[in-house]
Amino acid sequence: MPTLLELQRAVYRGLVAGEHGPCAAHVVADGIAGEGRLSVYRNTFIANLTTALRLVYPAIHRLVGAPFFESAARLFIEAQPPQSAWLDEYGGGFPEFLAGFAPAASLPYLPGVARLERAVNTSLHAADAAPLDLSRLASIDPADHDHIAFVPHPSVGFVTADYPADAIWRAVLSQVDAAIAAVDLAAGPAWLLVERCATGIEVMRLTEPEWRFAAELCTSRPLQEAIEAAPEIDAASVLAGHLAAGRFIRFELR
Amino acid sequence: MGGGKPLACLEAIRSHYPISLHGVGLSLGSAEDLDAAHLERIRQTAERIEPALVSEHLSWSIIDGRYLADLLPLPMTEEALEIVCRHVDQMQACLRRRILVENPSTYLRWRHSTIPEWEFLAAVADRTGCGILCDVNNIYVTAANHDWDPSAYLAELAPAAIGEIHLAGHSTRALGEGHVLRIDDHGSRVIVEVWTLYTEALARFGPVPTLIEWDTDIPEPGVLLGEASRAETRLGEMRQGFRDADAA
Repeated sequence: MPTLLELQRAVYRGLVAGEHGPCAAHVVADGIAGEGRLSVYRNTFIANLTTALRLVYPAIHRLVGAPFFESAARLFIEAQPPQSAWLDEYGGGFPEFLAGFAPAASLPYLPGVARLERAVNTSLHAADAAPLDLSRLASIDPADHDHIAFVPHPSVGFVTADYPADAIWRAVLSQVDAAIAAVDLAAGPAWLLVERCATGIEVMRLTEPEWRFAAELCTSRPLQEAIEAAPEIDAASVLAGHLAAGRFIRFELR
Repeated sequence: MGGGKPLACLEAIRSHYPISLHGVGLSLGSAEDLDAAHLERIRQTAERIEPALVSEHLSWSIIDGRYLADLLPLPMTEEALEIVCRHVDQMQACLRRRILVENPSTYLRWRHSTIPEWEFLAAVADRTGCGILCDVNNIYVTAANHDWDPSAYLAELAPAAIGEIHLAGHSTRALGEGHVLRIDDHGSRVIVEVWTLYTEALARFGPVPTLIEWDTDIPEPGVLLGEASRAETRLGEMRQGFRDADAA
């Protein structure tokens, strides 16, 4: 008689790897073989997680079609089953999986679109937080300005892609054939900022130096270091834009 | 626990209706410890929305830190009973309230099970003080799959323990020669046999709050409201019956 731990490990091998044999030996057959009964659970396991991935990656689903998506999802699920029941955070490794997935090699823009969808989903579910009260900045000694390190709003994220992932994503989700046809894959790389606003998720295109500056600020690097990382931009006016948009919630002096 | 539109919608609904917070991911039946981070998310959610009822399932879904995204069947053994009771105690202590534990739909039985499912469920309620969420469709599905008598299952449950009832549709799948498994999928109308069993449940348990579960292949709102109104009609008849009995 297996212990509960032994039985649950055997079920895991059956559900994740499809090796029902060791586990089926513990099932009352009763007209239907143990393997058949266990396959019902394996189907639900794969189907539930495929749905979770489809909800995070709807543009990928449309781009490759349901059969391709489902077979890629099944391989990913078997390789990387969830590490918690909080499925909003499941599938973070899917973009990288797609990048190494040989059948998708002819669609080199896929991983970038997937990273964007991941960032959109993370932003969608991020915690709420009130933006920084800008009057608090006025009380800082100007000598300390270089040392201000901002804490970004939890919904702010950054994505880069070698292809125009934002244009592909918008066109595919619009389901307008003309918009999809109008996407120029040769348009070059995209530097994107993702955030949640009152009206929904915004995906903004930045220049490469603006992106570098914003990403530095949002990893809470001191202001002076962020400025040094992007010397070619007008840091004061770009920073004013970030502050006005409420992209920071706090600051520290470092 | 996250924020944004999902939380805003939940809080808007909360301001008009009482909420039943129904968990599917805590895995009360895991041999390993409960996922402390997940339990904390449930605690924060419960603190924020102050649900009228909190429930989880008599099942497991986590092994060695991997979540199997389904309500998997437990062996009905003394070992499993002790583990489930320990985890229910832990959940109730963390939330500082009584929870309800729901009977699952199952598609297999383990050879080494020694306790009938209804006795197992009753023992969990007795030992931990938790209530039972009686899923009438799950009783029907499980009884059909294992050739049990669903009315006898209902009759074994103590009315005082029942805190909520679930109803749902299910599908059937042919497996093997002439054998059919009934599969709980929350994707269609409640079948007439389950409505009949629901009437039996209300007669035994009284007018218990009832939820129609329909979360795959979701229909037009009118269809779902029709199902809810069908349950509400039976609940109303039951409440009237109780009032008449009190008046007599």
